[in-house]
Amino acid sequence: MTTNGPRVPGTTLLKIARLLVNDHLMATVVQPTISDLQREISAAGPRRVARLRAQWRGYCAFCRVIAAAPFAAWSRPTESAGAVAFPDVVARLGVGSIVVALVAIVGPMLGPWVAVIIVAGMLLAFGLHAWYDRHPSEIPTPDEPPCQRRPQINFSCTEVAGNIGGLIFVLGSVLIIAVGLPSVIWFLFAATAAGCLVAWGLVAWHASRPRRGLPENLIELR
Amino acid sequence: MTQPLPKKERLILELLVSEGPFYGLQLVERSAGALKRGTVYVTLGRMEAKGLVESQQEALPPGGIGLPRRIYRPTALGERMLRAWTAFARELAWEMKP
Repeated sequence: MTTNGPRVPGTTLLKIARLLVNDHLMATVVQPTISDLQREISAAGPRRVARLRAQWRGYCAFCRVIAAAPFAAWSRPTESAGAVAFPDVVARLGVGSIVVALVAIVGPMLGPWVAVIIVAGMLLAFGLHAWYDRHPSEIPTPDEPPCQRRPQINFSCTEVAGNIGGLIFVLGSVLIIAVGLPSVIWFLFAATAAGCLVAWGLVAWHASRPRRGLPENLIELR
Repeated sequence: MTQPLPKKERLILELLVSEGPFYGLQLVERSAGALKRGTVYVTLGRMEAKGLVESQQEALPPGGIGLPRRIYRPTALGERMLRAWTAFARELAWEMKP
């Protein structure tokens, strides 16, 4: 495939498929489908109508393959039974669609503040995710999980380090509650200020006595 | 293997045993509409995982462009499975004859 020659049909489809399906499905399902498309277009020769018909059939087949790919349970026969058969992008699209559908259904019943809180929460989540992508956590992993419950549904199990990510988390949480409950905004600001003071005092105390009472698993002083 | 042989898998095995080996598109053309080009490779992949068919990637000719195709042929297990299923279906039809 050279860059100067004519464009090989199916190149874009191949790029799209690489984003959506795993390597095994690519090799066994997607590539043969695109190969068929290329053969048919090649066999159609210079006849425009025949080429268009071949393209249409090939694109329809590609769409069906992509739609069926997540349900192809045999796609990773050598991996564990719990493995997801399609890559992260499809999972994110699925979760995103569910969230959008829920917001569309429930949103009108709850008023505009809910939308503001949702947007603020999403921004906070994106901010946190971006921060931890660039600054991977250096929190030591304990041999046994400290909490058997799933952190996604149990806020007390969520580990937040004492770094800028933790600060974003705290300020974002305060901001979301402040936007959602404007009547308690002064209480929140006072609590945040008091919390910062207590934290500063704890940091100073631990810094002066490095071997006493410092939690070894979570807080990292920077 | 205690599961029944699905209709499409049986058709693919019949075609491959009687006239094969075939490329996926040739199977679609010879199935008279029973197999669709969008799903034939999903079925073939499942059959390959079960050990009923095996595939080999064709070698591209020198100067050839595009992706190489895969050619499918039945395995010994696939042929045995088809024979057993055909015999079972024949026997069942005979038993149910009024």
